[in-house]
Parts: sequence; structure tokens; C-alpha cells
Amino acid sequence: MILRLERRLAPASSPRAIFFANAAAIVAALVVGGLLFLPFHVSPLTAYADLVGEAFFTARGFGYTVTEAAPLILVGLGTVFAWRSGFAYLGFQGALLVGAVVSTWLALQIGASLPFALFLPLALALSFAAGGAWSGLVGFARARLGGTEVLVSLMMNYVAALLVQYLVTGPMRADGDLPQSALLPRSTWLPIILDGTRANIGIFVALVAAVIVGLVLRGSVVGYELIVTGLSPRAARFGGIDVSGRTLLSSVVCGGLGALAGPVEVLGNQHRLLDGVGEGLGFVGIVAALLGKLTVVGTVIASVLYGGLTVGGNAMQRHSGLPSSVILVIEALIVLLVLASDLLRSWRIVFVVRQAA
Amino acid sequence: MTATPLVELRGIYKRFPPDVRANEDVSMAVAPGEILAVLGENGAGKSTLMQILYGVYRRDAGEILVDGVPVEFANPGDAIRHGIGMIHQEFMLVRSFSVAENVAMGTAPLKGEKFDVRAVAADLTALAQKFGLGVDPAAIVEHLPVGVQQRVEILKLLYREARLLILDEPTAVLTPQEVAGLFDVLRALKAAGKSIIIVTHKLREVMDISDRVTVLRDGRNVGTRITAETDEPLLARLMVGRDVLLRADKQPTPRGRSRLSVADLSVAGHDGELRVRGLSLDVHGGEILGVAGVDGNGQSELVEALFGLRPVVSGQVALDGEDVTRLSPAARRTAHMAYLPADRRNVGSVGDLSITDNAVLGAQRTFARFGGRWRDRRAAAAHASALIARFGIRAPGPDFPAGKLSGGNLQKLVLGREVARDPGVLVVEQPTRGLDVGAIETVWAELLAQRAQGRAILLISAELEEILNLADRIAVIFDGRIVGTVAGAGADVAALGLMMAGRPVAQYGAA
Ligand SMILES: Nc1ncnc2c1ncn2[C@@H]1O[C@H](COP(=O)(O)OP(=O)(O)OP(=O)(O)O)[C@@H](O)[C@H]1O
Ligand SMILES: [Mg+2]
Repeated sequence: MILRLERRLAPASSPRAIFFANAAAIVAALVVGGLLFLPFHVSPLTAYADLVGEAFFTARGFGYTVTEAAPLILVGLGTVFAWRSGFAYLGFQGALLVGAVVSTWLALQIGASLPFALFLPLALALSFAAGGAWSGLVGFARARLGGTEVLVSLMMNYVAALLVQYLVTGPMRADGDLPQSALLPRSTWLPIILDGTRANIGIFVALVAAVIVGLVLRGSVVGYELIVTGLSPRAARFGGIDVSGRTLLSSVVCGGLGALAGPVEVLGNQHRLLDGVGEGLGFVGIVAALLGKLTVVGTVIASVLYGGLTVGGNAMQRHSGLPSSVILVIEALIVLLVLASDLLRSWRIVFVVRQAA
Repeated sequence: MTATPLVELRGIYKRFPPDVRANEDVSMAVAPGEILAVLGENGAGKSTLMQILYGVYRRDAGEILVDGVPVEFANPGDAIRHGIGMIHQEFMLVRSFSVAENVAMGTAPLKGEKFDVRAVAADLTALAQKFGLGVDPAAIVEHLPVGVQQRVEILKLLYREARLLILDEPTAVLTPQEVAGLFDVLRALKAAGKSIIIVTHKLREVMDISDRVTVLRDGRNVGTRITAETDEPLLARLMVGRDVLLRADKQPTPRGRSRLSVADLSVAGHDGELRVRGLSLDVHGGEILGVAGVDGNGQSELVEALFGLRPVVSGQVALDGEDVTRLSPAARRTAHMAYLPADRRNVGSVGDLSITDNAVLGAQRTFARFGGRWRDRRAAAAHASALIARFGIRAPGPDFPAGKLSGGNLQKLVLGREVARDPGVLVVEQPTRGLDVGAIETVWAELLAQRAQGRAILLISAELEEILNLADRIAVIFDGRIVGTVAGAGADVAALGLMMAGRPVAQYGAA
């Protein structure tokens, strides 16, 4: 008997098929990852029970999970917006830092003298605008000079990281040993939504943004034009769509969305600006969007699962003494296998029994 | 037939989700040295059947036999190994590769580790010469006009020395002269013992080239005839299920004022060289101006410039007296210009989007509420359904992805959409390329109805018959210039042919 991959007549694209392919990928990743536990004499079953239980079935853990998920959702939304309209932006880490800097500055300057109901919208709006200008530069360069946004946007991440370093060691440095800004006024911290947890209203900011992005892409004429531009610039031009204008718009909005992760992280978690704030979120968010198949709902789900994995993984590690690299391996396996599971939607595995000729 | 057929299909079934029965119980056979024509309406399942035979699609049921032996093709590679080659309806060339590289791909003998592209190029030159297919092996495919790209596909097949050549609408993009040349090639191949299956909508070509003809309707084989024992009206009736009169019923229409006027226009092609050189023309309301010419004489560049998709080097385009030379396509649409591009797959539509989403392309702000900001899905879906009904588009429904429509049905969708917009000036490029006779009837009637309503229509077509049937005036384009304009009524085909070949003919019956 041999195994063979056989192409399906048409990709299985029903919601059920997608669900099962993804679920199978996650289970496979957990099984393979579980093998890594054995040298440590840890039962994979209890370890995973710890993971899931902590991340999703305790109030405290779930609070952490949504806190982890909020910035991922925002970066993921930026990714969906940009990539669906054909703008391959990778500079979300930089945009996030720009948002973090702007909201820190605002909080330190006037945060204490403004009611929170005024301060928060202002901080979000300014972060969005600054992040949009930041990523819009890349869009402008592409529209005007041509070339690719991939490299430019990647390099600008370094510029933003160095900018933060400069600020926390220089102009914004607070007294003390560490290179970091002063603690933000308490009145600017994102309020906790569940007593006894760390869950703050950052998750609401992310969910509201998700609803808006979903509506714009699905329902608005501009969203339609963006999607046509992403799928076929030639057809878009033919359809009277201003392709470079739409690309520019997309470049501004995507960075703006990514930049919202800055205030969510700074006002919600760190409560100050420091070197390495939001480390990696700008890339993990892209991964979440890819796992979510560049859909808004998929991105939200993937972000929450990813956040849960991080939180539960930490718990599992604490309880069982596994090294943290194990949980990183499992995370990577999940990403790989979920992306690869798409293959099973267009191919199927068949068992061929050799027959005598 | 007494001899074993080269290839035989038995009881082929093919269903596409959700519920498209593309082929139902189709059987047919080709003998060695035979030319078999496959005929059928748009969406009848011809391309699907051919792709099953070529290993692109898997059949749901049925048998394929080569030399009387059942075979399984998992992919086109298997088919090629059995000597079956195919040219697709939509070209399958790598656009950024040269002609020789395209032919070399997957076929060239390996010399060391590299493709021996140079040897391929030499073989190609010989082949091209032998069959009279003028193609430069070093040319980059994307710079070639569609007509020449088609020749590359044919060469690729000849190069692979297939025993059975499947050609899916090979003549749709060729000029009459080129078709005659192709048919000479096919006859030579037949004489050399090769078999050929040719899918075509043109009854004349069926009569001209084939030994037998198989007619598909709604996925079924409704009859196979020996060509010599049938005739065009019989075939048309077999195919469409009713009598078809392919003659445009053109009523005299008063000629209105000039609506589209082009003065001394020059446009450059991809390589920066001028493709349109100081071209002038005028189209009036209530008239169809036909631009006749061999593909690749600047037609594509002309229409793209007219619609604002390609920059103008010099000269002027005016709509109703207003200079629009520098306006965007959107502004031209607003000024009531509509355009039907020749490339319906890549320019006229977005394959991944639904019929509904494609039906509003270019008018996305019209099918919207709140001052054109919010999409009105219900209105869009109703519009799409109306187009489906009015133009007889074969599709499961308005949510069906446009990219999965058969070639002819996609064309109906794109044309229907442009016409439904009530344009003042309508530029149509190859409007009936690949359409079945019934559909051509529909499209011609539609264009004439547009003319009767006073619209100005610029018709670019490589199909002389189409131009002769529809045009009030015929402008012949050669090498980017109009070499002469003649009245449509009673135009002399021989003289037009000469002009299309660049021979200036004393103008007569000038309009
Ligand atoms: N991949 C696909 N998925 C779903 N339906 C398909 C697919 N390909 C073709 N079809 C449907 O199958 C039917 C037959 O299509 P096919 O392309 O074989 O027609 P055809 O006879 O070649 O038509 P044309 O003359 O217009 O090229 C059509 O209704 C078409 O919409
Ligand atoms: Mg076809």
C-alpha cells in the first residue's frame, strides 16, 4: 500500500472543510510538540490541559489572553487591510512604536489634566495619524518612485526602534537607572474591565477597530475598490479606480491601525515607554492575519488563540518546568502546519492498494 | 470506423461544484489522420471535455482509451507522454519569457544542467519556416500581440511532436489570412498521419477543415456527423436547438453629430516605440465606425489610449467637443464613454470576484447609497441577475465567481455590463471573439440597438465579416495609421484585404 497525494476536483472551500483542516493542523502540531515533552518526563496530556485551562478557563488567565491578543488584532487588521489591497507592508513594528511614542508623549504632557474620556480618543487619533503618516511615506514612495514597499517598510522598523532608544536614553528619559520614560499618570492607564484580572479596555479598542475594518472592506465602495486593486491592478484601472490613490490610502490606513497597538500596549500594559516595548508584536500580528486567511474574523480568532498559547504556555512551563523553547517550538509548528493545511484543501491523501496487473 | 481510434472517450461525466453538469455521458473518438471538429454553444462543456482529455481535470466517470488501451492522466505531462498536446483557449505562456524559453520549458533536452535554449531557437526557426509561422524565437512573449502569442502556442505543440493536437478555439484571434495559413498547417499535419481536434464556433471553419464534427449541447453529445454529409444550417440547429440567421438586420439611422474625435494621435507601445502614428478619426452618433486591420497594427494601443489606460505621446482625443486627452478612465466613464477590452479575463473582469461584483466594476459608485459611499448589494445583485437573464449568461447564479465562467459567457457579462451603462460613446474591441453563433446574434443585435439609440460606436475587430455586417464606415488601420476609409455598404472585400496589408488603394466611396 502506498500513500499518494491526489489533486481534488476543486479546493474544498466550505467553512466546514476549512475548520477541519485547521483543527487537524493544530492537533498535529500539539502531537508532534508533545513528543518534545517526553525527555522531561512530563505527560503531554496534563501539560496541555494546564495550557488550555489556564489560558481560556480561568478568569485571570483569560484576562492575560485578551490583553495579549489586543495588539495582535490591531496589527493583524493592518495586515489584512494592506495585503488585501495589494500593498505588502511589513513595517508594523515601526508603526506600533510610533504610536507608542506619540501616546506616551501625550500622556506625559497633558494626560493628567484631561478627563480619560477625552484623553483616550485623542491619544488613539494622534497615534493613528502619526502611524499613518509613517507608513504613508512608504506608500508615497511606491506611488511616486515605484519600487517595492517590502524592503523599505522592513528597514523603517529599525529606524523606529532606534528612535525609541534615542528618546528613552535622551529627551524622554526619567531619573533612575533604567533607560525608560517616566511612569504615565494613573488617569491615563486603560481601565480594567474584569476585576482581579489584567484585562483592560484595549481589547474593546481592537474589537471596535475589527468591526470598522470589516464593514469598510465588505460594505463600502472604497473597500471594494481596494480589493479590486489588490486582486488585479489592470482591471482596477479599467474600472476607473485610481490605483495609486487607493494604494496610498491603504498604506496610510494600515500603518494607522498598526500604530493603535502602541497606545494599547503602553497605556494598557507597560504604563511607560521603554526600549523594546511591544517587541515582536508587529510581526506576530502579521502571522495572526495570515493564519486568519487575511479575513477580519479569522484574524481576531487567530490572535486570541495565539495570545492564549503564550499565556497558557507560560503557565505550563511554570507548572511542569519545561524550557520555554519548547513552547516556542509548538507555536512555530502550529503556524507552519496551519499554513500547510491549505494544501489539504486542494489535495487529498489517498491510500493506493497495489493490484496485480 | 474499422481501425482502432487513436483516442476514444467513453461515457465521460464531469460535475463542478455546486451543481454545474459540464459533461454528461459524452463519448467520441478520433481516428489517426483525422480532423474532428467539436462544436457547441458557450458553456456547452467543450473546454472541460478537452481538459479532461489533456489531464487538467479529472473525470467523475467514464473511460479514456489511447490506441484502444485504457489510460489515466494525472496531469498534462502524462497526456503529453501519450502524444496528446493542447492549446488552451486562454494562452498559457509565461509572459516575461522569450518565445524559445516558453517552448523549451519542460520539453527541451537537457545539455549539462542548463536548458539549451539556443538549440530550441534554431529548431523553432526551422519549424516556423516550414509551416509559415513567422515568430522571432528571441522575442519576449508579453510584448507580442495576441495573434502572435497564439502562433507561439501552435509552435510549442508542433515542437512537442504530439500525435493528437487539441486546439481550443485557435482561430478566434487569427486574421482570415492567418486562419488559412493555420489550416494549411493542419492539413499538412493530417497528411503526416496526425490527428487533430479543433474546437471552434465558426461553422464555416468546421465545413472547411474537418472530416467529422461532434456537437455538444448542455454537456451532452447531441450528434456526430460526417462533415461532407451535413451543412451549416443543420449544424447550427443541432447546436442551438433553433434556426440561426447570422445576418445583422441594420436599419438606416440618421447620422448624428460627431461625438468621439481623435486628431493626430500618437501612442507608444511597451517598448517605447510609436504604435499609433498620427492617427485621426471621427465617430458620429448613430453610427458604427469599424476599424479593420490585422492584429498588432496599433489597435490595442489606440483603444487603451482612448480610454486613458495608456499615455498619449501627442495629439488629441475629444468627447462631444471636450478635450479628454489627459482625463483618467474614471473621468471618461463619467463623460459617458464605455469600453469593452479584448482581454476579458485580465482587464475586463476580476476572476476571483463574483458575477455581482464584476457587474458593477466601473459603476461601483452608481450601485451605492449615501452619495456613492456605501455599496448597495441588493441593487448590484439585481443588476447582475438582469444581465444574466438579458444576455443568456450560463451561470449557477450571481454569486458564482466570474473566473469560472466559460470564455463566451464571461464575454457576455463584460459586454452586457458596458452596454447597460447607457454610454454615449462605446469602444468595443473584438466583441464576439469566442462567442457561439447564437451569442454573436445577441451581441450584434445589441450593438445595432445601441446605434439606433444614437450612440457612437467604435468597433475594432479582426473579423472582417463582423465589420462588413455592422459598420457604417470602415477605416482600415495599418502600422498605426488609417490608410483609408470606405463606406460600409457594398465595401469591396478584396480592396479591404489589400489595404489591411498596407497597400494604399485609391479611396473610393469615401465617407
Ligand atoms: N472550474 C470550474 N468551476 C465551476 N464551474 C466551471 C469551471 N469550469 C467551467 N465551469 C462551468 O462548466 C460549464 C462548461 O464550461 P466550458 O468552459 O467547458 O464551456 P465551453 O463549451 O468551452 O464554452 P465557451 O465556448 O464559452 O468556451 C460552464 O457552465 C462553466 O461555467
Ligand atoms: Mg471553451
